[in-house]
Amino acid sequence: MSKMNQTTYTFVFATIICVVSAVLLSGVSEGLRAKQELNAELDVKKNILKAVQLAEPLGPKMKPEDVLKVYESRIQEIVIDENGNIVEGKKPKDIQESEKNLHPVYIYQEDGKVLAYAYPIVGQGLWSVLYGYLAIEVDGTTVRGVTFYKHGETPGLGGEIEKEWFQNNFKGKTVFSVKENKVTPIVVVKGKAKDVFQGEELNYHVDGITAATITGTGVTDMLDKNIKLYEPYFSKIRKNS
Amino acid sequence: MPEALLSKKNQKIVKDGLWDANPITFQILGICSALAVTTQLKTAIVMSLGLTIVTSMSNVIISLMRHFIPSSIRIIVQLTVVSAVVISIDQVLRAYMFDVSKQLSVFVGLIITNCIVMGRLEAFAMSNPPWKSFLDGLANGLGYSAILVMIGIIREIFGAGTLLGFHVVPQWMYAHGYANNGMMVLAPGAFFLLGIIVWIQRAISGYAESA
Repeated sequence: MSKMNQTTYTFVFATIICVVSAVLLSGVSEGLRAKQELNAELDVKKNILKAVQLAEPLGPKMKPEDVLKVYESRIQEIVIDENGNIVEGKKPKDIQESEKNLHPVYIYQEDGKVLAYAYPIVGQGLWSVLYGYLAIEVDGTTVRGVTFYKHGETPGLGGEIEKEWFQNNFKGKTVFSVKENKVTPIVVVKGKAKDVFQGEELNYHVDGITAATITGTGVTDMLDKNIKLYEPYFSKIRKNS
Repeated sequence: MPEALLSKKNQKIVKDGLWDANPITFQILGICSALAVTTQLKTAIVMSLGLTIVTSMSNVIISLMRHFIPSSIRIIVQLTVVSAVVISIDQVLRAYMFDVSKQLSVFVGLIITNCIVMGRLEAFAMSNPPWKSFLDGLANGLGYSAILVMIGIIREIFGAGTLLGFHVVPQWMYAHGYANNGMMVLAPGAFFLLGIIVWIQRAISGYAESA
């Protein structure tokens, strides 16, 4: 290096640094990918199981294989189109990026009896995209459970959406008003729902999170969008039940 | 003669990071993350661990390369090393501690831009041997951690009535009109706490800014 020109040396050094870190990072990423994807898949399945409120909830220390076993024995995966018709022979994982009209539904059964229908909900919060699942009872109107499992909201504020108390607010709320025969997407209010609404309106309003109004609005919007998206399917369920 | 691993000089490096030149209260670095992750003690602890590991590891790496780094691109080289270390840690967390990585998603990435990491590389690791640099990184990381944990404890107790998720404020206090302090959950609450901690620390150490 003694004779090497200073500029050339700088370039050589920079190149070495770039190549070494690139190789290192690709190595780490490739080597761990399989395990990471398995974790992500397991997380999704756990959340579907949580949303449908299993008769026997999953234990906190349950082994991954056992979770998958419970999932496979209880959950039936189907795909529906924009008119709410079941697409035969297709699974949620077969849905391509371009097939925007196809949507997954996860049917929860216990001893051959259908107990709930769950579907993914996605929408923009304050800082991040929120991901979750909404489970509807067999009547096609009542919320059985909801989960928000992936988000980047502020811990303690918007991040509270992942907490039990917030998610429990949704249980028993209705997404369809039989009396007025219309869809009633659930609205997150500012403050306590029962201070503002009463009677039937209280059925589709839930308590908000203090100091997280925009996250709440995000949740309202995502529920609005997704509940309407799945309405054709659930209107068929209501007719048949 | 080789220097003892924990000689007087090395002890001073550790003490500087923890107390005399604490990255938060003396250098006033890393304030952004000190506000962002301290609403709950748990995230504060994990962020502290992450930062301590990253600072010590990147300090050692940069110290090993210090004679070869061309000074005109040293900041870029430091940044590359820090990013590589942080991304690797993030990937490992995602593979082996999925739940923790989910909670930390954004914060881990933020370590890259934490001023303490770059500050220590530039101020210490560039001109000191690896073992000293490791001690310096470790001490600064722990100094940062100590402040974060303190603020995290206070904010979680007064802001949410819990500690590590367990309820510590008894129900009868709420029944008698006690309410959680909303300001503690927001950034200004952390600012006030931080100010008070800096004040107390400087009152004890007798440090004053020179005019």
